[in-house]
Amino acid sequence: MKDIYILGIESSCDETSFSIVKNGTEEIATVISSQIDIHKNYGGVVPEIASRAHIKNITFVLEECLEKANMTMEEIDAIAVTYGPGLIGSLLVGVEAAKTLAYLYNKPLVPVHHISGHIYANNLVKRLEFPLIALVISGGHTELIYMDKDYSFKKLGGTLDDAVGECYDKVGRVIDVEYPGGPIIDKMASIGKHTYDLPIPLNDDSYNFSFSGLKSAVINLVHNEKQRGNNIRKEDLAKSFQDVVVDVLTKKTMHALKEYNVKNLILAGGVAANKGIRNKFQELCEENKINYTFPSIKYATDNAAMIASSGYYAFKLGRRADLTLNPLSTDELK
Amino acid sequence: MKILYIDTSTNYLYTGIVCDDKLLSEVKKKFDHDLSKYALYEISKMLEKCNLQPNDIDKIIVVNGPGSFTGIRIGMTIAKLYAFSLKKEIITISSLDAMRVSIKSSNIIVPIIDARRGYVYASVYKNNQVLIPDQYIKLDTLLQKLNDMKEEYIFVTNNKFNLANINSYNPDILTIVETYKNNKAINPHLIEPNYLKLTEAEENLQGISYDN
Repeated sequence: MKDIYILGIESSCDETSFSIVKNGTEEIATVISSQIDIHKNYGGVVPEIASRAHIKNITFVLEECLEKANMTMEEIDAIAVTYGPGLIGSLLVGVEAAKTLAYLYNKPLVPVHHISGHIYANNLVKRLEFPLIALVISGGHTELIYMDKDYSFKKLGGTLDDAVGECYDKVGRVIDVEYPGGPIIDKMASIGKHTYDLPIPLNDDSYNFSFSGLKSAVINLVHNEKQRGNNIRKEDLAKSFQDVVVDVLTKKTMHALKEYNVKNLILAGGVAANKGIRNKFQELCEENKINYTFPSIKYATDNAAMIASSGYYAFKLGRRADLTLNPLSTDELK
Repeated sequence: MKILYIDTSTNYLYTGIVCDDKLLSEVKKKFDHDLSKYALYEISKMLEKCNLQPNDIDKIIVVNGPGSFTGIRIGMTIAKLYAFSLKKEIITISSLDAMRVSIKSSNIIVPIIDARRGYVYASVYKNNQVLIPDQYIKLDTLLQKLNDMKEEYIFVTNNKFNLANINSYNPDILTIVETYKNNKAINPHLIEPNYLKLTEAEENLQGISYDN
């Protein structure tokens, strides 16, 4: 069978990325231009600044990707692009670029949902095995998804308010750590003790999550301790907070695996890089004989390799967009 | 020599193809919210109508602002990828320059684009001589400056303003292309939107205020 090369394009938030992936599993070349150092100055991603950086970087990133792969556009079989969800101005640059390349080289254009990209990041580590449960955790998403085959997504539940990564970053701001707070809290938690009492959010039998109450509880706790003149033991607070997050994520995920009688679990999204969360799942999956996959750090955060991998399966299913493809800031995974 | 012209700096698509001093085809359409959806599609249809392949174009002239931030990025992304991929020459021009050369008048010509909150992007020219270069300026301040000049002036715009002497903007794509086609081409990697304004987050961080 002829090899299929997909060019992936990702620009949904603050990373401009291009990647070429062969047959959905073999990464040929990936280039990521991250804007994290720019947004650090503002304590979070500023959408207009992100859009401006994307258009500045876009052809540099494309050129470097083609050079790294030692390929030309003519050798690409299809172009896969994140059309949403994400920051609309950021998405727009990637989508216009993808449409233009599809037009100039007369290539099929494949629209890819960002979350499906995160799931398929694991496909670059190890071919997905079905049925599976995917826990997608990032700065913008917290979702539990069931898949019985490629490109069949059934959403079991998701966050009702803040995404888990968003909650981490906000807690980071409260305890004065640099943006993005998530990785720092994870590190602090590894040396802290669980001494602060925090509520377990949405501790029910549903597969939904809620993190805004937990965030408020941390804000109130820090405020009250300050009023009393007590110092916050940041490492201990980080550990107490992370324990609660790990607890609710693992509890609901393990419950879903059991209810759907599924033996494969994948973690996906930027927060999948969190060691506390990874390790707890590792432990539970060994105990319960579940095949457990998580993406390597480079595939956990936003990148175009995962879009190209996901795009390969969408391409094979005949999913196509024409030159009127428009980015969407929100859209259900289907 | 076939030249593709693209302007998406407002909520209109203005595009055309000029070949050896003749306008082959043009599209002038208003898109309220779906310019991003149709801009490239319309451009591709226009080329098709002229029986042209993407590679038949020799040069691209693209408007790089000022105007709608998102709008500018639509045309600029298309033009940037086009010029980079097919190794075409690319020239950027100001939306305000495109507006002023499209109108014939011996009066002072003032192209203006609504920048919201009482501000406009504007320039002031007379007989192709610049009196006020492209800038982000309070409309009241601009009007004061114009009145101080004590000469007849006309506005060119495709926005709605409650002003006298308004000429609605109808781009003369042939004239625009002929005027700017010999400008120096730029490396496509380096072409950039000219927003004329920092983002609000940057203004706040740097303590910049435009109260002129």
